[in-house]
Amino acid sequence: MAPEPPLLSMDGITKSFPGVRALDGVDLDVQAGEVHCLLGQNGAGKSTLIKVLAGAHQPDTGTIRWLGEPVTLRSPIAAMRLGIATIYQELDLVEHLSVAENVHLGHEPTTAGFVVRGRAARASTAALLRRLGHPEIDPARPVGGLSAAQRQIVSMARALSHDVRLIVMDEPSAALDPDEVDNLFRIVGDLTADGVAVVHISHRLEEIRRIGDRVTVLKDGRAVAGGLPAKSTPTREVVALMTGRDVEYVFPARPPAAPGGPPVLQVQRLAREGEFEPLDLEVRPGEIVGLAGLVGSGRSEILETVYGARKPSAGRVLVDGRPLRPGSVRAAVRAGLGLAPEERKAQALLMLESVTRNVSVSSLSRFSRAGWIDRGAERGAARRATRELSLRPDNPAVPVRTLSGGNQQKAVLARWLLRGCRVLLLDEPTRGVDVGARAELYAVIRRLADEGLAVLLVSSEVPEVLGLADRVLVLREGRVVHTAPARELDEHRVLDLVMEGSPAS
Amino acid sequence: MPVPTSPTSRRGLLFGAAAVSAGALLTGCTSNEPADKDDDKPAANDRPAADDRPGKRVTIGFAGPQADHGWLNAINDNAKSRAGTYSDVTLEITEGSNDTAQQIGQIETLINKKVDVLVVLPADGKALTQVGLKAMRAGIPVVNLDRVFNTPQAYRCWIGGDNYGMGLNAGHYIGEKLKDKADARVIELAGLDNLELTRQRTQGFDDALKNYPNIKKVARQAADFTVESGQAKMAQLLQAQPEFDALWNHDDDQGVGALRAIEQAGREGFLMVGGAGALSAFQAIKQDDGVLKATVLYPPTMAASAIDLARALGQGKGVGGLAEYEIPASLTLYSAVVDKTNVDQYMSTGFR
Amino acid sequence: MTQHMSPPRDGTPRTAAGPAPAWRSLAARTDVRTLSLLGVLAALILIGSITKPDQFLDTRNLQLVLTQASVIGVVTVGMTFVIVSGGIDLSVGAIVALASVWATTVATQEYGFAGILFTAVVVGVGCGLVNGVLIAYGGMVPFIATLAMLASARGLALEITDGRTQIVTVQGILDLGERDSYVLGVPPLVLVFAAVTVIGWLVLNRTTFGRRTVAVGGNAEAARLAGIDVRRQRLHLYLLSGLCCGIAAFLLIVLSGSGQNTNGNLYELDAIAAAIIGGTLLSGGRGTITGSVLGVLIFTTITNIFALNNLQSDVQQIAKGAIIVAAVLVQRRTASTT
Repeated sequence: MAPEPPLLSMDGITKSFPGVRALDGVDLDVQAGEVHCLLGQNGAGKSTLIKVLAGAHQPDTGTIRWLGEPVTLRSPIAAMRLGIATIYQELDLVEHLSVAENVHLGHEPTTAGFVVRGRAARASTAALLRRLGHPEIDPARPVGGLSAAQRQIVSMARALSHDVRLIVMDEPSAALDPDEVDNLFRIVGDLTADGVAVVHISHRLEEIRRIGDRVTVLKDGRAVAGGLPAKSTPTREVVALMTGRDVEYVFPARPPAAPGGPPVLQVQRLAREGEFEPLDLEVRPGEIVGLAGLVGSGRSEILETVYGARKPSAGRVLVDGRPLRPGSVRAAVRAGLGLAPEERKAQALLMLESVTRNVSVSSLSRFSRAGWIDRGAERGAARRATRELSLRPDNPAVPVRTLSGGNQQKAVLARWLLRGCRVLLLDEPTRGVDVGARAELYAVIRRLADEGLAVLLVSSEVPEVLGLADRVLVLREGRVVHTAPARELDEHRVLDLVMEGSPAS
Repeated sequence: MPVPTSPTSRRGLLFGAAAVSAGALLTGCTSNEPADKDDDKPAANDRPAADDRPGKRVTIGFAGPQADHGWLNAINDNAKSRAGTYSDVTLEITEGSNDTAQQIGQIETLINKKVDVLVVLPADGKALTQVGLKAMRAGIPVVNLDRVFNTPQAYRCWIGGDNYGMGLNAGHYIGEKLKDKADARVIELAGLDNLELTRQRTQGFDDALKNYPNIKKVARQAADFTVESGQAKMAQLLQAQPEFDALWNHDDDQGVGALRAIEQAGREGFLMVGGAGALSAFQAIKQDDGVLKATVLYPPTMAASAIDLARALGQGKGVGGLAEYEIPASLTLYSAVVDKTNVDQYMSTGFR
Repeated sequence: MTQHMSPPRDGTPRTAAGPAPAWRSLAARTDVRTLSLLGVLAALILIGSITKPDQFLDTRNLQLVLTQASVIGVVTVGMTFVIVSGGIDLSVGAIVALASVWATTVATQEYGFAGILFTAVVVGVGCGLVNGVLIAYGGMVPFIATLAMLASARGLALEITDGRTQIVTVQGILDLGERDSYVLGVPPLVLVFAAVTVIGWLVLNRTTFGRRTVAVGGNAEAARLAGIDVRRQRLHLYLLSGLCCGIAAFLLIVLSGSGQNTNGNLYELDAIAAAIIGGTLLSGGRGTITGSVLGVLIFTTITNIFALNNLQSDVQQIAKGAIIVAAVLVQRRTASTT
């Protein structure tokens, strides 16, 4: 390391939220004038880290040094005073204020301390916009009328309106067209040439190669690699670091014979504008079909559209050859579909209720006559369904919130088992499930398939898809780029497909 | 509904008030007469008083609160029908509102329309003082009806009821009825307690009862002028007081509920006096088969008198029965006690 | 009483569901919140008995308290369903006013007892229907939709009455409020209140409708993805609230022998306060009819004790506020320590 201290160094940063350790001793150092890329899967801790950096979160332990001096970033204002500016993914601009007002929000040029000098603000904003290559944006215009790319520029101008030394950009290119991305990168180049450091978060490896100097990879709240050379580290190695696991999962054996028979679920040219392109797939009874792809590849959207929770812009879904009413969850459920959604607590569970009531909620009519619930029958059925899945504790009367993640997932599966569902849609079935419990969940899913269920599985964990599914569809940015039997694929191949989008190995 | 405070002025004005009421009754009974050609003569040369003969045309702007209560409704009716009896009066009446800001806006509209005289029953007297001043400065005389403005500068004439007098007269009526009874017990069903007028009524009632050492007020509960609250509070009072001799209820509207509660509890053997002067109360008094024996007036006819005063103002005349060339600055109406002996006389003024 | 069939008292799951002793199962079945409310009510009864032993502990007073609780009680049962589903109904007082004046117009009274009852219920359900459609299918926020209904229904009630009190002349209605109609000492109004409470309890705890209400309130997205027709459920809930308002309006007509546009003043706040005190979560997903009815009884008993002791409105209001805070704090304390 150079004799002079780095612009920023973070040592052993930890941050816990109730139930989650978001950051677990992260180290990060950033030199003046470099583009430092942060990589990691969803939930790896990137957002928490940049919020700590922006002064929005206070770390539990660890030290932050600025030019070698320990500092405490007590608030976003404190961070800004040091010269740290953050451009969030959801741009935090005030729609009804003008460009100039947004740029100077909180530090308006004033006379006598309180009279805002609007003209001065507009003039300095215009200068900043010129520097950013966008003189066409009128500083007096309300931000509400600007395009996504223009807003990005305004956010950038806001960052530069301070005496900025470090800019944090959270997926800045996500909403931009290619030539807008080019412009952004040109600006980044200008800034770094002036000695400003940039912390850049992106999923796109090619961007990291283009503008990045060094890469830090986060996984499960830890920096698994720090300061790798961005241009020369092989993709495979980066990917392996992102997904690297401590434990090999045990996957259940596939049945000897490939499942036959007519498909129970058929998806034909199903599409949602802006989310995923026309998609075809079929799932037979006893078969597990996996969708692999990164966040933003359209996986969850596809599953929810199949389920009717989102209305497709084109195409249709058939069960047993009969088309479902589009955009109707009730039609899907009636036809025998069941969804275990990605956000279990927010989308599936009634957290205040018992396991029994969570399991029975989709089958109430089975235990009721004229709306009157036979609670004995309900309890018995819920108990049988949860026993079949070995849900622990073996007492469906307990509130579902007291269950572990894996058992909560079993409660969701029991709901559909009880309903007699025939097609199970699983979105990230092991999210929030600890490693030990995963194998058991995999076994349950395989057994349900062996008993004749058709399963459509979505996961960002490639080994999970490969280990569990019979057939795999690889998605990249809303498009299926490859389809193959799981045994013909391996993790690196899938990751190459997912990240680069080229089928060549 | 605050009123002028000084008791001397109240007493001093009783005559005038009675005279106006009487005059109002008289003029109300006569119909339009042929147009008088002398109407342009200076008032002083002829008769100083405005009478029912057509004179100079007068446009009167009238702004009142929302008529969500029988009494307020009667105010509007009285104003309208009174104005209708004069061929020389045009009444510009606004949609009633309880919202101060809205009422201010309505009065400003009337000012801009350049009405000749304004009659204002404010939703809140204090809050509307400024707009009263504004009208006066714009040269539009204001007749302030019942709920008084903060300063006399905001009106040319105030006319309204006498809340203290209501309590006083109710107390005296009950006192006279019970004066020979040892250890008489009296209870009070008051109106909305956060209004000043309720306090004034209670004060008057208490002051009157001081003249009768044998009478003790044993309970008081406040309802809120609604039938529902009258029933609920009366039911509780009846349970709390197994024995009492007289009841004063501030308001005949809530009295409907109070009577219902009395009937439901099957209670009798006491004297009830109401307040305000609702038709249903008059009818019950006339029938004389229940506990309600009398009611103390808070006459809504004051709106009719206000129209008379406004017309007189607009025509630059005084009022009949008074020697002055101008109308008075302030008129407090008498809260007469209506019982079986005189109920027929008041029946037509009862509001529903 | 409780939504949970046997909630573990400390949140730790029992591994085996062995047969529990009778007292324990009873304790486990009764929500701690309900117990604390019963405690508050018992304390109030004690205060009433000490301060006014003759008037308070009296059959007539019991009849009085329950009668006065009936109207707002029926409204609160409907409100509880709406709040449990994660909604709010600010229009209940206005609907009671509108239904009570519509049912007591001269024209309606010509149809006698049945005409009044029918009109009150239909107007209530009609208003509930409008609320429900606006919220469930029009996508309006319940707060705004029912606030709009509050304004319109009050306005219409005023329009109908012209601010006048509409006296009921139908003898059958009037008789129903008299002592002669009491059934074994129970006023008919109280019988209706009791019936609505029992039916409400059964519907919330024993039927698919109740279960779906709780599901929608607990997690609307989860309910939707579980295949529940969330919008239809919401529509039905506001209909139910409107129905309760219609019944309450009828009770109020019987009680006061009249219809007035000022009826039902601030019922929305009283009903919400009673439900919240009764342990219903304002955010939805949890609530009990028992708790809400206890909340209503607590309020009515407070008013009764104050009136019997001849306390004035100012003191009453201060004490009422303090008791609300105290009741909620006691609940939170008991709920967190057990």
